[in-house]
Formats: sequence, C-alpha cells, structure tokens
Amino acid sequence: MDSLILNILTPVAIFLFIALFTLFAVYAERKIAGFVQDRLGPMETGKYGLLQTFADILKLLQKEFISPSASDKILFALAPILIFVAVFVGYSVIPWGPNLIPSNTHTGLFFIMAVVSIDAIGILMAGWGSNNKYSLLGSIRAIAQMISYELPVGLSLIAAVMITQTLNLNEIAFNQGLLSSKEIYFLGFWKVNEIGGIFGWNIFQAPHLMVSYAIFFIASLAECNRAPFDIPEAESELIGGFHTEYGGIRFAFLFLAEYAMMFLVAMLGVVIFLGAWNSPLPNIGPAKLADWTTGPVWGVFWTLIKSLFIVAVQIWIRWTLPRFRADQLMTLCWKILIPLAFVCMAISGLWRILIMI
Amino acid sequence: MELAIFYAFAALVIGSALLVVSLKNTARSLFLFFIVLFGMAGLFIFALADFVAITQIMVYVGGVLILMIFAFMLSNKELLADLQNTSSKFLSIPNWQSLLLSIGFLAVMSYGIIEWHDNFPQWITENIRQGNIIKSSDNNINQLGIKFMTQYLLPFEVISIFLLAALIGAAHLSRKEDPK
Repeated sequence: MDSLILNILTPVAIFLFIALFTLFAVYAERKIAGFVQDRLGPMETGKYGLLQTFADILKLLQKEFISPSASDKILFALAPILIFVAVFVGYSVIPWGPNLIPSNTHTGLFFIMAVVSIDAIGILMAGWGSNNKYSLLGSIRAIAQMISYELPVGLSLIAAVMITQTLNLNEIAFNQGLLSSKEIYFLGFWKVNEIGGIFGWNIFQAPHLMVSYAIFFIASLAECNRAPFDIPEAESELIGGFHTEYGGIRFAFLFLAEYAMMFLVAMLGVVIFLGAWNSPLPNIGPAKLADWTTGPVWGVFWTLIKSLFIVAVQIWIRWTLPRFRADQLMTLCWKILIPLAFVCMAISGLWRILIMI
Repeated sequence: MELAIFYAFAALVIGSALLVVSLKNTARSLFLFFIVLFGMAGLFIFALADFVAITQIMVYVGGVLILMIFAFMLSNKELLADLQNTSSKFLSIPNWQSLLLSIGFLAVMSYGIIEWHDNFPQWITENIRQGNIIKSSDNNINQLGIKFMTQYLLPFEVISIFLLAALIGAAHLSRKEDPK
C-alpha cells in the first residue's frame, strides 16, 4: 500500500516541479533576453516583474476553449495532452539522487529515447488537427528536424553507453563518483575512485566523450525545437508553427511541454555525461570535499544546479544565435554531426578494447 | 490486478485495431494505429520482453508510423478520396486477397486453439524445475547482446546487409540525375 501511495505521489511531485520550473524558466528567459538585448525585460508586475509569469498563467487559465470550425476536434484536443505526456513520462526513469529514482529499470536510457520520439506524433496531430496551412507546414518542418536530429542524439548516447556498459540510468549515475562499484579512470590512466569529484564524470573518462557531449547538446537543442533550430515555429514565417491555433489552457500545456523537454534533455545530458548527482568537488588530501558533499540532499541539489545551468546555457544560446535556414539545418545534421558521432562511437569501441580492457 | 491490466491492454489493442480498419477518416485511423502499436508494446512487457516493447515504440511509432502519416499528408487529395470511396460490398473483386488472408489467419488461430491444452510441454516443466527462468527483475539486455553476437550472428548480419541495401536504394532513388 505504501508503495502505491509513493507511486502516486512521485508523479504529482514531479508535475508540480515542472510547473514551478516552467514559471521561473519563462521569467528567466525573458530577463536573459532583456539582458542580451540591452533592455530591462518584465518590470511592471511585482518587484522586478517577478509575478509576471504568474499573471500570464492566470490569464491563460481563464481563457475559453476555442477550436476552429474546420478543425478535427478530437485530434485538436488530444494533441497537447499527448505532447505533454510524452515528455512527462520521460521523467520516470531519471535519477535525482543516490537511489532516488522514480523507476529503476535496466532499459532506462532506451526508454527515454523511445518515449521522447512519441512527441513527434503529438506535433503532427496538432498540425493536422488545426487544419491550418501554417500549422501543417510548421509540424512537417518540426518532424523533419526531429527525426534527423534523433540520430546524432542516439549515436552520441551510444558512444557514452559503450563506456558505461549499462543502459540503467541509476547505475550510470552511480559509476561516476565516490560510490562507484567499478574502477573509474580519469582519461583512462588515473584511478579516481577515492578522489571523485569532477574527475570521475563520464565526460572526463574518455576524451572523445567531450565531443560526444557537444554533439548531444547541439542535437538536443534541435529536439526541443529551440533557436537556433526553431524553424518549426519561426514567428516571422509561420506565425507560431504547430501551435498557431491553440489558446488558453491547451496552449499552456504546449508551453509546459516545451520547457519540460528543455529540462529533460538538460537532465539527461547531466546524468549521462556530467556526473549526475555526484559532486564536482574532489577530495584533496585531508579536505574530503567530495565525501562531505555526497548524499541524498546534496544529490538533488547538484542535479538541480547542473541541469539549471545547462538550461541557462540553452536560453543564452537562443537569444544570441540567429535562426538556421532549413538546408543549413540539414547540412549541419547529416554532414557534420552524424559523421562526427559515428567517429566517436568507433573511438568508444577502440577505447573499450585497447585502454579499458 | 496484473490480469486486469493485461485484459485492458488486449481490449485496447483489439478495439482500436478494429477502428483503424473501419474508420472512413484516414488521418484519424492513422493516429489510432499509434494506440494499437502502443498497446502492443504494453503486451510485450507482460511477456517480460521490455527491450522488444521499447524497440517497438522506437521503430514503429518513432519511425514507421511518422513516415506513414507524412506520406499521407503529402499525397494527392484525389488519390485519397479514391481510397476512401471504395465499394463497401463484402465480396467485391478487390477484396478477395484480403478474404484469403483472413481465412488463412483464422485457420492458423483455430488450429492453435484446438491444439492448446493446460499443462506445459516437458521442456518447459524441466526448465522450471531447474530454476532456469527469466524473472521480471533480470537484466536481459546483456543476454540479448551475447546471443546476437554468438548464436544468432548470421541472421543479424543478413538483416544488416538487407538494411544497407535498402539505404543504398533510397539514396539512389532520391539523387539528382546528371544533366548531360
């Protein structure tokens, strides 16, 4: 019975976290945009505009449901739910701290990859259901982009998984720090089981994993449909892309899904490459910094800090780089990222055979 | 509890599969096909084949189904109208292949039901006695990998050659002709 209550409480807690995160991420996005463009951003509502997003969400919640008369009512109503659920389910296998994981499965990573690809179906549903040229064009662009960029994401993750030898995200997290059950080496030569900290992270266990992480980060930006890869919702050409016709709470859910996806890929990158909940501080002689900063509470703290930092970088990139053209987008994916990811995968195999043995 | 979930999944799959073939609205039936595939993945999990279940979602939902919807959206409206207005007579000429196929499937299934009996065959009881069974908490991905690289190496390689051939074919079809 206890486990049943826990199984109900965990998703509710994660949902509340996502909602809260979205509120603050939207505020942060607007403030960072203001900073990048040398203006103030929201200032009117509350101190420093802190209540701006709360006001926005109140406005969205009050709006009535409007579906265009020519739209496919069922598909139109179901699409936001499907898109949000696809992203939300991804959170079920990501660890927050040592053994703090909603569902500890052997196929965790593979599960996330599969579930996130359902997102594409929801976007197609929204585009078709709206019965609007801009929506359809936006969703077709989104799918072309998401299917292409799923390959570099998958390949760069495979390169990391070949080093970790497991798809279980809990084990991957454990094997990057002090609590590791196997021997970990910094760049393949320096045993760091006792030292821990930043040296134990997967990204430093083999040098090519840094390239892998760069590929993962770029491709995951495209998976979230964020600038510079936001041609699916290019405002100047397509109004809003697949969510042109949406309003009220349905639009709120699409927005929630977008920010949940941002946090999900940031967290996935942190878990696979950046040491998950392990502390970045190493043990230096008598100063056992890593020992002091490892534990359930510290674990959640480090996961949050690292993921929020990655999200901040995503926002920074969005407001700094201009949008890619469609052909540049495909060139980047098929001619640069995928071959590089394949090379990383091959190096992982050699690394495994020649250096880790 | 588990039995109830199993039957719920089975009913979901059968119900939505029936709807897929009977709906007039092709777009909706394509999206319903997603539910069929998803329910099938759920049934695979009941057979302790979690890897197969996730592969099902990854390949069929993330790849094949999206391509089907894509093809549907980009194809000619009149062609689709023709597809939607086929004759509804039960035994018309274009239906004879499907009739043959369904009779064949019915024969196979009824043969299975006739041959089915309650007790396990000997090799299964033997293995259960020896404790040679898969539990839901086992990690069978390692097993899959080892089997692929040893016992089933030849089929694995044949499939990869087949996929390579399909890739080269697709690249050949989509390339531009030389403007000579």
